[in-house]
Amino acid sequence: MTTETKQGGPRAATPCLAGLCAGLMRRDLAPGAPWLSTLPVLLGAVLALLLASGMALAVFYDPRAAQASLRFIALEVPAGWIMRGYHVTGAGLGFVLLYVHLFRMLLTRGYRGPAAAGWMLWVTLLAALLLAGWLGFALNGGLGGYWSLIDAISASLALSGPAGGVAMWFFGGAPGDGTLARLLVFHAVLGVAAAGLLWLACAATRQARPAPAGRMVAFWPVYAAQAFAALALLALVFALLMCFAPHWGQGAQSQLPASSLAVPAAVSYPWYLTPLAGLTALFPGAGGHALAVIAAAAALYALPWLDRSGGGAPGGLYRALTWLLGLDVLGLGLSAVCPLAAGLQILLFVWFFIHFLVLTPAVTAMEAA
Amino acid sequence: MVDHTADANSVPVGESRRGFLAILAMAGGAVGAATILWPVIDALNPDAGSEAAARPVVTVSDIPENTARQVMWGGLPILIRRLTDKQLADNETVSMDDLPDPASLESRVAPANRHFVVVVGLNTATPCALEGNTPSEPRGDFDGWLCACDGSQYDPLGRARRGPSRRNLPIPRFTFINEAQIQLG
Amino acid sequence: MMRHRFLAPLLAAGLLACGAARAENTLTPLHFQSDGWRGSIDKAAAQRGFAVYQSVCASCHGMSGLHYRDLEGIGLTPEQVAGIAASIKLADGSAATPDSLFKPPGAVNMGGAVPPDLGAIVAQRPGGTRYVYEFLTGFGPAPDGMTLLPGHFYNRAFPGGQVSMPNVLRDNAVTYADGTKASAAQEAADVAEFLTWSSDPDLAERHIIGLRTVIFFALLAMVALAAKRRIWREEG
Repeated sequence: MTTETKQGGPRAATPCLAGLCAGLMRRDLAPGAPWLSTLPVLLGAVLALLLASGMALAVFYDPRAAQASLRFIALEVPAGWIMRGYHVTGAGLGFVLLYVHLFRMLLTRGYRGPAAAGWMLWVTLLAALLLAGWLGFALNGGLGGYWSLIDAISASLALSGPAGGVAMWFFGGAPGDGTLARLLVFHAVLGVAAAGLLWLACAATRQARPAPAGRMVAFWPVYAAQAFAALALLALVFALLMCFAPHWGQGAQSQLPASSLAVPAAVSYPWYLTPLAGLTALFPGAGGHALAVIAAAAALYALPWLDRSGGGAPGGLYRALTWLLGLDVLGLGLSAVCPLAAGLQILLFVWFFIHFLVLTPAVTAMEAA
Repeated sequence: MVDHTADANSVPVGESRRGFLAILAMAGGAVGAATILWPVIDALNPDAGSEAAARPVVTVSDIPENTARQVMWGGLPILIRRLTDKQLADNETVSMDDLPDPASLESRVAPANRHFVVVVGLNTATPCALEGNTPSEPRGDFDGWLCACDGSQYDPLGRARRGPSRRNLPIPRFTFINEAQIQLG
Repeated sequence: MMRHRFLAPLLAAGLLACGAARAENTLTPLHFQSDGWRGSIDKAAAQRGFAVYQSVCASCHGMSGLHYRDLEGIGLTPEQVAGIAASIKLADGSAATPDSLFKPPGAVNMGGAVPPDLGAIVAQRPGGTRYVYEFLTGFGPAPDGMTLLPGHFYNRAFPGGQVSMPNVLRDNAVTYADGTKASAAQEAADVAEFLTWSSDPDLAERHIIGLRTVIFFALLAMVALAAKRRIWREEG
């Protein structure tokens, strides 16, 4: 301690920088982390790109002429099509990273014990990004987004009591000229909030790390090299999607202009909203939709306490069931794209809750014994 | 860190190879980051419509002689006036001593076409509109412009001649892009 | 932009390939230069297509978002654009300028059907460019047993088989400035290429930038992977 303070000099002049360097060089990380552990870094990079391109888009976007102003951006703004590409592809790829990371946390039981706070922040991040994604879908001004928004507002107008009050506060009353302007602000605020949530979630996960034991490595250069290589691969995939499949996963109606006369038989959602759409499809009205979403979120939040295992590696049965849950979520998403038989739809919905509320406690308790 | 340096000293060849790879990767990463971020900066440049609006093209060939046309540009009224030969001759001989803000004829007319005068149409004493664009409007004693607010009078070249105004009408930036059109800005 | 420096030889090769495609007969078999992952706009075809749009389509169909100056994107010179704009009378009686938006059509009502805006029609229809061509060449006598609604015409490419729009393309409906023979099929193919450009003006640039960016990041990823492996072998 004393020697360090006496050395002082240039380091003392930039204590922040020195602290950061020391933090990056501190050998307190277990070696050999898998590639998938870089997902939070990649998600952070995608979020930063979304914020940057979102700022540039917001300069030219006109909520009163949503799709026309997006066409204006593509035609008249320098590099405007690149900004749209960043935002659209970034949203799609960001959700890939987020879903895979959450699935990996489930599979490795990364939500248990001291990591529970981190897990809950990740679930909150998912909720924030899904809401931001849905608002972006509406802001796009396509036929699907327009009708999804109109349906949501009309259903909320029918709600009474505090729930109706909250919905009216959010949407600002009946759909009108100002609706998209209001939702644009929420969309942007949620984007910034998501960046903060990601930082908090990573900080909480770091806090929950086991104490250093055995031979440890530092972030620099070991994990910096891994993160850098992962970022380069991400950029490669990003460029491929953005330049050669610009409408990837956006839903069939995203290009059609919003129209109050053309009512689609069913709204086609961007792929990342389809699991949510499948989850809510069984319950009519805003009340039912909200109930299904709240129940699903509650099951995810409660997961650290539903897991009855004391510790140790997850067993084979638990892993198999988690893979089954992944298929279940994929099936729910599929049900929003092409209608499934009613029985199958109910099974997919019920399985989601059985997995968390019945199977997880039972199997983890059994495997712990 | 100390351990790391010791390791490196024992394998100098590997260290230089690794250093080369790391430098190559970091340089490539810097280039990549710059290419990704440059379009974000570029997108905040003015859009094509604003660019066009900032440098409007005005057709002047159809302005009748002895008449001025007013166009709005950047929030300012711009007067484009076609002079008669008589007005040119009259104003060429004005003594500089008679002018509150001396300026030669050559410095007031368009270099490409002496028959055109382009000025900002706001009185320089009291900010107020000018009259005299058409021959039927009151033009004051110098056949130019007159400000009804404070009685300032300008000649056809936009030079202050009488009244409270002490400064000539400013000349905006413009160019003749061909015989018939000028571009402002 | 700074990326123009990368892989200039590759771009040059791409441009040579584009030049070769222009002389081909694109109708048999039907293909478009804008097709595929390296597609770009055939500017000569798009200019012919604009002539067709302007003299045939524009009376009923709008072209939202486009200014006349944007036509420089299909290779017209500023002087040509100024000439085109000057020949168009806007609703208020004045002549259009290069900075005017495309003149919207007058109110047209084909028995309740409103002609769709063509600005982004290729992005809005499944099949895109090819669909526009198939639709414009798909008119004909209705098959036996099919009863057409009043004011409707048979079209084999249109969903449902009948549409309120009549067959508008005929041989020599326009005279092409470049001497290409204006058969109805040629007009349909050209207007399809023009509408592909209007829907996606950045198609060619996107593909060129995409190819260069993908190659750059593929190389960078290889270097980064090699660096990572080496560092992990020594430190991990």
